[in-house]
Amino acid sequence: MLSAYGKLGCMLRIDLPDVAALERGVAVLGSGGGGDSRTAATLLRRRLADGLDVAVRPLAALPPRARVVPVGVVGATAVFAEKLPGGHEVAAAVDAIQRWTGERADALVSIEIGGLNGVMPLVAACDLGLGAVDADLSGRGLPRLDQLSLAAAGRPITPAALAEPSGQVLVQGTGAPADLERTARTFLPGAGGWAALALAPVPAGELAACCVTGSVSAAVRLGRRLLALGDSPDPDRLAAATGGRVLSVGRVAEVARRPGPGAHGRPGFARGSVTVTGHGTDELLRLEMENEYLLALRDGRVVASTPDVIAVLDRRTGAPIAGDTVRVGMEVLVLQVAIAPFWTEPGRLAVLAPRAYGLDADPALLLPPGPGEAR
Amino acid sequence: MLGGEGMSSVRRLLALPEWSGAVRVLAGAAGLDAPVRAVRPVADPGAGDPVAAGELIVVTGPPQPADWRLDALLRRVADAGGAGVLVPFGPPAGSGAPVASAPEPGSGAVAGSGMTAGSGAVMGSGVVAGSGAARATVLLAERLGLPLLGAAGGDPLNLVVTARLLLAEPEIDRARLVLAAHRAFDDRACAPEDVMRRLGDLLGVPVALLDDRGQPLAGRLAEPGAVRVDEFVPQRVALADGVLLAHPAMLPYPARPTFWLVAELRGTAAARAEIVPPALSVAAVAVQRWLLAHRLELERDARARTALLGDLLRLDGEPSAQLRRRVADAGWQLGGWHVGLRIGAVSTLDLVPRTAEISRVLRAEGVEAVVVEHGEGWTGWTSFAQEPTPARVRALAGRLRAAHRKLRGAIADHMGVGRPHPWPEGLAGTVAEATDAARLAATRPEAGYFLQVDQLGMAQLLLEWTRTDTFEPAARALLAPLRDQPGDLVRTLSAYLDAESSIAETAAVLGVHRNTVAARIDRVERLLGVDLGHRDERLALHLACRTVTLPGR
Repeated sequence: MLSAYGKLGCMLRIDLPDVAALERGVAVLGSGGGGDSRTAATLLRRRLADGLDVAVRPLAALPPRARVVPVGVVGATAVFAEKLPGGHEVAAAVDAIQRWTGERADALVSIEIGGLNGVMPLVAACDLGLGAVDADLSGRGLPRLDQLSLAAAGRPITPAALAEPSGQVLVQGTGAPADLERTARTFLPGAGGWAALALAPVPAGELAACCVTGSVSAAVRLGRRLLALGDSPDPDRLAAATGGRVLSVGRVAEVARRPGPGAHGRPGFARGSVTVTGHGTDELLRLEMENEYLLALRDGRVVASTPDVIAVLDRRTGAPIAGDTVRVGMEVLVLQVAIAPFWTEPGRLAVLAPRAYGLDADPALLLPPGPGEAR
Repeated sequence: MLGGEGMSSVRRLLALPEWSGAVRVLAGAAGLDAPVRAVRPVADPGAGDPVAAGELIVVTGPPQPADWRLDALLRRVADAGGAGVLVPFGPPAGSGAPVASAPEPGSGAVAGSGMTAGSGAVMGSGVVAGSGAARATVLLAERLGLPLLGAAGGDPLNLVVTARLLLAEPEIDRARLVLAAHRAFDDRACAPEDVMRRLGDLLGVPVALLDDRGQPLAGRLAEPGAVRVDEFVPQRVALADGVLLAHPAMLPYPARPTFWLVAELRGTAAARAEIVPPALSVAAVAVQRWLLAHRLELERDARARTALLGDLLRLDGEPSAQLRRRVADAGWQLGGWHVGLRIGAVSTLDLVPRTAEISRVLRAEGVEAVVVEHGEGWTGWTSFAQEPTPARVRALAGRLRAAHRKLRGAIADHMGVGRPHPWPEGLAGTVAEATDAARLAATRPEAGYFLQVDQLGMAQLLLEWTRTDTFEPAARALLAPLRDQPGDLVRTLSAYLDAESSIAETAAVLGVHRNTVAARIDRVERLLGVDLGHRDERLALHLACRTVTLPGR
């Protein structure tokens, strides 16, 4: 089956030198979340160095009936870096979903381009000898399964299979997206913190309408441009290179973390805020975060919000700083990058708008996303 | 009235007993002295109600840790020119656990189990110790210069209530004072001095009554000169340690203050500067009422006197019993000998209020005279029981001249004095002489604008008068229409006037037929446009004729 569409052109090959660009790109798209892409990038480098090959095909290049299985890693990614994968988890999850649905996987697609899930499906594609699709189900970093583009487009995301490192495999046959999210949250603490996820195969012809296309190649391009800026990137050039807007250049004056509001007796995601004092302006940029940076207020006024990507970059290296590692005293650039148009369509915006995270503010987006808009 | 409505400051609110123990300034101390006009509770900092200028927003709902919506609220309040934000901290009502302290057990692990990004378990930092406000919020309040207050324990609504009572206090105080002022200055008209005494009792501060030039009439002030008496509006003058409040008491005409009511508020009393002006205004109305009543009385008297004078001057023969009664009521004396007075007022002067001043000046010079507003000046007379000796008349003239010097400029312009004439027919005569003399005096700066028709008679007066360089051209101009006319009109007119307007006598003097004289006089009247029956015109023409026909001129 692979050979059937392997002959088609405009395929993206990820070679060893591209891994750094991919890693940087997905880390920025994680919007401060999405997990540590470094471990995943190391795994991918190892496989490429061993002569394995990963081909990322445009969705349009697949036959409409090709079955694409969305895969990824869910759970606490801090644990992922400590409790390393055995390499069989994604395969186990894909196996389980193939057995449950009785359909063979022809290709894999990432559930989330932002963070480690922008890289892990490529590792799995190497391991399983399957192709990867140049698309994802998020377009950025997302915290909840019921926010995936499949759910936002009205498709079920069950059946789904979860496979954790010590061998447990869980398949949820039916249920609403919120049910799957709840199941995963219940399963994960007992499973050791993280698990591989595979969703039921989606025919390629149907996937186009319910995913963010071209996101892997976009991440690589974004990463390349960022790396090309070198150390101590100039804010204007950074904005021009990303098509985004620099919200602040300054020093982290404060990081506050607190428990989030719980629901149904279970605590919610932790909350936090980061305050950056602008150099030369003394403007205060406050970022509200949950798993990702979600909202930016400049001197009390909302200036940027989810679903746009808000990234905090190390001012010296240009490397993204995740929400769980940002510390007082860091010299940072805060960057806003426009979200994929998939999410700004009516009916979908609410899925990722601030109010979906309990933040009572209207979305503040870079719309229309003009290239190189000045800050 | 509205300018000072509820003016207070956050600093003053903090001094309230209910606030002082419970509320702390977390940030933005720079704005503590900004005015607070209103205090409004909001249950939820995210509520998007518009904020008004001068408003202090009190968040009453239980605080949420590090709530970013507080930042947005600070911004909205700052943008609207609000006075500040108060947030509760400490245990919210109905909960024993302090907010924003240590994380709940296990929350770190679960909270970190986001789909991808695990947040760390580091909690509790970034909250200012002992307050519910995040350090980010504190930094922002400091940056905006907007007071951020923290209330420990208790119900913030209590703070709202006490603050609102304080804000309403000046209004209540003012209302009380105005009511008390209305009671004090009831319908009875009382003299300005009494009004000031009661006002001083009412306000408990030094008050004074100033005249239209700012000189004190009653009361005592350290700096009465600070009032700008040329600006006829209520004034507020800053003093070194207080404020001077001034309110004019005006009559509709002339529209300039007759009096100024001034209150001096020093030291702690200066805080009542917003409260006192309405009471001052009520007192000014009382003074104004008195002025109006007084003026009405003066006017009524003046009219009666003027009418009475007119009746006396027109009198031929003995006055009726009724007229004598009116004269007696006016306090005038008719018997004996009279010397008439005529005082011309400076232009556009309001006569009635000055009559008393003229009487006062005359009395000061030892002259008891009746003075009545009459035309554009005053007419009057002084009486002697017996025919006065020339020495007494000269002494009288000297005293009148001295009085005129005092009056001249501000009130009087010129003065004429007649000869002594006996009652009754002589009163009109001496007044007429005085009137003529006054008319001449108006053109005689060298005589100090003062002329007396003395025993030497009119002729000398006239001759003296016609020697002026100003009169001769005027006389010639006056008679110019008669020149180059057929018939010797100037000579005919001169003879006619010399003959006391007798046609027959004139005809005899000129040696022409009486019809000729009548026709000529008729032409003279038409050419000159005069009525020779009018004594003023007759006098002027007579003098003019004398001037142009005088030998040697």
